[in-house]
Amino acid sequence: MSEEVKKQRPAPDPNSAKYKLNMIAKKAYEDVAEAKARGELVGWCSSNFPVEIPETLGLYVCYPENQAAAIAARGGGERLCSIAEGQGYSNDICAYARVSLAYAGGAEAPEQPMPLPDYVLCCNNICNCMIKWYENLARELNIPMIMIDIPFNPDYEVGDAEVAYIRSQFLDAIKQLEEITGKKWDWDRYEEVREISGRTSRAWLEATATARYTPSPFNGFDLLNHMAVMVTARGKKEAAEAMETLLKEYEENHEKGVSTYRGEEKYRIMFEGIACWPWLRVTAHGLRDRGINMVTTIYADAFGFIYKDFDDMCRAYAKVPNAINLEYARDKRTKLCKDNHVEGLLVHTNRSCKLWSGFMYEMSRQIGEECNIPVVSFDGDQADPRNFSEAQYDTRVQGLTEIMQSNKEAL
Amino acid sequence: MEVLKKFEEAAKDPRAILDRYLREGKDVVLVAPVYTPEEIVHSFGMVPMGAWGADTQLNGSKKYFPAFICSIVQSIVELGMNGAYDGVKALIVPSLCDSLKVLGENWKYAVPDIPFIPMTYPQNRKPEYALEYTKAGYRRVISDLEKISGKGFDENALKVSIEVYNEHNRLMRETAEELRRHPEITAEERSAIYKSATFLRKEEHSALLKELLQELQAATPGREKIRIVTTGILADSPSLLQILDENGLQIVADDIAAESRQYKTDCVLEGDALTSLARKFSARDNCSVLYDVKKSRVEAIVDLAKKTDAGGVLMILTKFCDPEEFDYPLIRKACEKAGLPIVEIEVDRQMENYEQASTIIESFREMMEL
Repeated sequence: MSEEVKKQRPAPDPNSAKYKLNMIAKKAYEDVAEAKARGELVGWCSSNFPVEIPETLGLYVCYPENQAAAIAARGGGERLCSIAEGQGYSNDICAYARVSLAYAGGAEAPEQPMPLPDYVLCCNNICNCMIKWYENLARELNIPMIMIDIPFNPDYEVGDAEVAYIRSQFLDAIKQLEEITGKKWDWDRYEEVREISGRTSRAWLEATATARYTPSPFNGFDLLNHMAVMVTARGKKEAAEAMETLLKEYEENHEKGVSTYRGEEKYRIMFEGIACWPWLRVTAHGLRDRGINMVTTIYADAFGFIYKDFDDMCRAYAKVPNAINLEYARDKRTKLCKDNHVEGLLVHTNRSCKLWSGFMYEMSRQIGEECNIPVVSFDGDQADPRNFSEAQYDTRVQGLTEIMQSNKEAL
Repeated sequence: MEVLKKFEEAAKDPRAILDRYLREGKDVVLVAPVYTPEEIVHSFGMVPMGAWGADTQLNGSKKYFPAFICSIVQSIVELGMNGAYDGVKALIVPSLCDSLKVLGENWKYAVPDIPFIPMTYPQNRKPEYALEYTKAGYRRVISDLEKISGKGFDENALKVSIEVYNEHNRLMRETAEELRRHPEITAEERSAIYKSATFLRKEEHSALLKELLQELQAATPGREKIRIVTTGILADSPSLLQILDENGLQIVADDIAAESRQYKTDCVLEGDALTSLARKFSARDNCSVLYDVKKSRVEAIVDLAKKTDAGGVLMILTKFCDPEEFDYPLIRKACEKAGLPIVEIEVDRQMENYEQASTIIESFREMMEL
């Protein structure tokens, strides 16, 4: 038997963006755990809840979606989903919700523990499923729920009535949180948070836009990891600095002709949908083995929260990916495909996400036609490993590769 | 009772009703689940006609929806694509759940000849500021209806329509109470009363209800059956209803979205009609597609069962319906705590095999007989 020789991984460079971003994500959990330990009230927060509110108030919150993704990526998705199913939840329900409700019900999750909440912050601009999930958390844990309703917008533009409705709710949410936590809202602090959030967002948009270079200076799977910081910590100075470092690194990569994508970039695709966390390695390898780089996703655009004032912020939160109509969603993606010289679209039909997948067939057809690129989809799930078939994924990606190859040959 | 046949005929053949209205020169507008401002459509002299899908195979709609979207919305698109709705002027869809959001987006491309009119409601519907947002949604509907009909909105006409709907609500509630005293009315017959209400003009349906009420009040109640409460989105599957009848179960009350939930809330006319209508929406409660941090619906179901002396609760769960699937474990827990037997039957609009449902209902009956 030959002795396995393990490669010694070099110590991470503490000045690298990757290190800084990982530390922000890690520290977020630690900060909340410490706050809870010293008796402060802590919250759970949905991913597109306006982060400016907890950040300005100085609240300690953590993100169940982020936790569920981490648990799923580390192999605990099926276990927690099954526990929730044992509590009576259908296996058709969003797997993030199942993981979260199981955890809230007392299930262990050594993959990514976090303190139980004293209140929950819910915003349904990504789906109405979120309302149901958070209602159940609030009821089962007997804690308050702050709800900001940002309805799905069937029109291309956000109307004034919607902005007014959202503004009133933001102010209501602030008042409720002041009462619950005893902390006070400070408009000067809000301005600081707004500035920082804008700085972080600009760096993110510029960093992800370096995918316009051929080859791309980064592997698109990086974005799936870094977006957690964009969602949860956009208003923190450390996040702005880390994103600026990321931008600098990507520009330097381009100048040096290197990339975080290992191997030759033969094909460039856009990946549509939430990552298939339980099968992240498999899905990444299926692309890399064929020389495919996922150069962009809607996340590249989605987290660029740049706004000039409070009303503009309300409008920005009404423009997140799952709150917009087919035409607006299509145009955003078409721009990303064109800007980044995308040659194919790979769509994750995510069983957990009815809203994201519900009009994806039609939208991806339109994107394919407008950009003149092939579109292929595969069935999967963001956290439940049982809803993915490796063989189907492999066949579909192979099919996409062959079309992209023949398109190249035809040039 | 003769009048029951009229409800059944209407429930079974909505296309015949649509054709009749079209022959009479009426404009018909489809209204999708769950709550649509039908009064506004009615005030334009148009006929609002319920579109809750149908038990049909899905073919063309599969091009638009992945399999895991609820069969109600998928079958609405299927019907639109295969011409079942030809002749109607528009489809109004309220975006109260994620499947309804995608229904509108897909409809635009799958059925381009029938305009899609969105109705966006606030989920945070209790504060005063929400009223303005609801009214903005109504104004959007009004503006589209004005374009379609060529008529202008008339505040007084809306007041009249509100009264027509309030009267119908009252009669539906009275009928529900009366039906409770009549075990001889089968589950299928009961369902037809509710289903026909979504297709027929409210004036017509109210007239039939009055006739029915007179006959019921004069009739001697039949032999007692096992009393149950149903809950869910939809409960119109003939096969399932037959199983209930075969097992001697009487639905004494329901918390079904397509049935009693529609008629619980009246519009109190105070001030202008549009604000009054917005207040009606704010006042709605105890429904899985409406935000409620207390989830009062859970206790309301237990209370309803107790109030109506029901022996158990039957959850008719529409497959892939998130709002109901999230509520079910809490409803089950509350029923168990109250000592009420509860069973769940998962249904969809393509279901053909009811053997499992039959077995579940049989054991449900046995649980209640103990």
